[in-house]
Amino acid sequence: MKNSRPSTQTAALTCHNLVVGYAEKPVISNINISVETGQFITLLGPNGAGKTTLLRTLSRHQPPLAGSIRVGEQPLEQLRQADLAKIMAVVLTDKITPPLFTAFQFVALGRYPHTGFLGRLTDKDKDVVLTALAAVHADDLSHRDFADLSDGERQKVLVARALAQEPQILLLDEPTAHLDLKHRLEVMAILRNLCRDKGITVIASLHDVDIAAKVSDRVALVKDGAITSWGSPEQILTSETVAVLYDFRTACFSHHLGSIEIRGEQYRGRVFVVAGMGKGASIYRMLAKRGYGISTGMLLSNDLDCYVASGLGAKCVSQSPGSTFTEETRTMALSEMEASDMVIEANHHTNGPYQENQDLIRRAVQMGKPVFSFRTASGRNKINGIITVTDNSELFTAMEVHCP
Amino acid sequence: MNQSPQVQPPIPYGQKHPLALFVILFLLMISMVAVNICTGSVTISLSELFHLILRPDTTTESFILWKIRFPRALAAVLCGGYLAVSGLLLQVYFRNPVVGPFILGISSGATLMVSLVMLTSLTFQLRIITPFTVTLAAMAGACIVMTIVVAIASRVKNGITLLIIGLMMGYLCSAVTSVLTALAEEEQVKGFILWQLGSFSGFKWDEISLLLLVGSLLLTGVFLLAKPLNGFLLGEEYAKSMGINIRFFRMLILFLACALAGMVTAMAGPVAFIGLAIPHMARMIFSTSDNRILIPGSFFLGALVASGCDFIARSLLSPVELPLSAITAFFGAPVVICLLMKRRVKL
Repeated sequence: MKNSRPSTQTAALTCHNLVVGYAEKPVISNINISVETGQFITLLGPNGAGKTTLLRTLSRHQPPLAGSIRVGEQPLEQLRQADLAKIMAVVLTDKITPPLFTAFQFVALGRYPHTGFLGRLTDKDKDVVLTALAAVHADDLSHRDFADLSDGERQKVLVARALAQEPQILLLDEPTAHLDLKHRLEVMAILRNLCRDKGITVIASLHDVDIAAKVSDRVALVKDGAITSWGSPEQILTSETVAVLYDFRTACFSHHLGSIEIRGEQYRGRVFVVAGMGKGASIYRMLAKRGYGISTGMLLSNDLDCYVASGLGAKCVSQSPGSTFTEETRTMALSEMEASDMVIEANHHTNGPYQENQDLIRRAVQMGKPVFSFRTASGRNKINGIITVTDNSELFTAMEVHCP
Repeated sequence: MNQSPQVQPPIPYGQKHPLALFVILFLLMISMVAVNICTGSVTISLSELFHLILRPDTTTESFILWKIRFPRALAAVLCGGYLAVSGLLLQVYFRNPVVGPFILGISSGATLMVSLVMLTSLTFQLRIITPFTVTLAAMAGACIVMTIVVAIASRVKNGITLLIIGLMMGYLCSAVTSVLTALAEEEQVKGFILWQLGSFSGFKWDEISLLLLVGSLLLTGVFLLAKPLNGFLLGEEYAKSMGINIRFFRMLILFLACALAGMVTAMAGPVAFIGLAIPHMARMIFSTSDNRILIPGSFFLGALVASGCDFIARSLLSPVELPLSAITAFFGAPVVICLLMKRRVKL
């Protein structure tokens, strides 16, 4: 069980018509999920949706209001507390700083359900503790005082303590809160490895949709007293479901990019960006951040720029790849450009499929639009009337001047 | 398995050698007891002491030794040790460093009952207040409060609620006591105030044997709790997830802590400071939070400090005996402050 993934997919945890909440006040109702062994399950949802309440109910820290939970084959409520501790371990959000504990001693507390009457550690127990510390890459912390560890190090040691219980199921409440990006990714990678290498079922509540989409096998979206979606992140984490989940108005989860784009307020001018092959992505984001409206073209619909632009809510003139740009696309791009206050040329490739965009730049100059370009213009591609800039800050200074 | 040279399994009992520290503590305690027995209005030399221990006779020295000095020295050892262990239990359970054995109102309950006896005895037509009556009253008070606390403990959800309820009960009892004090006559009030400051004088062998018998039973119970107590260091939620029956152990911990503190209060009065400070000192001396070390460690340290304080209380302004609580606090508080400042340990 420990080192090899079981060949038959068995349910590690099953909830049937479960209602969780406090004293007759249901928080989430009608939960019917079955968690397979060795899967990484993420609970997503806004603050106060009941993720913690659900986790507390699963760990038997509070009783369910209705319905049933089965751990493997057994009903949760019938397990003895000591037996449950050998199956399930938790990492809570409680800030605990017991004094005068080395990380090793702290992790050794996790051996509690396995040790004898006075909690004496056998050689096997010590091995398990060291293995747990190694699994979270915290071997070097074992002699450090727990109270002196940083938040990130402490979180890893907390996970190690849970691992020392040798659980089959690991429940974590916001394991990445308060962590810097490095530790956030490290903790997620550790948890991911636990699923893969040790077959441990991990159930965690998270706030990072983008990370959740990349590590989870199953995602549960928790909102308005129900699990609104349950399935693989590829299926259910679309920009629409995420926008509804968190009531996004100015942000958008990009399904293709797996990240959140933050839309601007669009109170300044409208800018037409000639981009392609990923050259536009950072410019779109900077324009959105500074409050410009964006339109862009002509792009092939599988271009990275196209995904970023749609994520930011930009008007994106595109067509599916395979042929040269049609007259219709060209007309649309021109009319978008006509409606814009300025044009930016994002150093697109002038030889490939985006060759024709060069015409757009010429037309823009003819229309009398201010055109800014990152290209060091020379040779036959040189177009007169273009304002050349070398970096973003220069670009925005020039934009302020030409379009206050 | 892991034989890489860097990863040495740390000593599970903290950085120092607990056995050596235990031996030192024990020897210090024994010497302090010897000092307590030998000094006083009549000085007994060590050779005389051994002689009198082996062959008790009918001399005044023998009488003083067996009827006064021995019971008193033992009382200091036992009471100091019990109070320290009681304080340790509650500090661990509540995960709060400013908690002491009397936080749940044990001393206030005992004080209330004693004030009823000592301050209103005339109204009850009791001419003589024997020390025995006072002890009985204090024991009754401590027991009543303890019963209430344990009964509440089985119902409340978490420790903090219980802590506040305990504090409130303490205030209630103190309120009644202060009304009684205001109404009482002056000469009675002085005796009552002195009782409130605690003393190890006047212990009888009966009381000592009761302290020894019940106390050792309770201490055994505490030591068997060492493992779950270590689990409680992470808080009730984690303790539960590691397989600890929270409700059962909560009641057991509170019962043992209250019983130890109540027993001492009944016989020696509410001795301040020892129960609060000794667990901190033990933690810093042994530099560990492991209760398997701290339970015996606190006991011996408590015994040592209580003996030392009793010695100072008796001898500093002899023949006047100073109030015990004044000595424990006056000499103990600076020690704790120094230790904390020096070691920079977060408790």
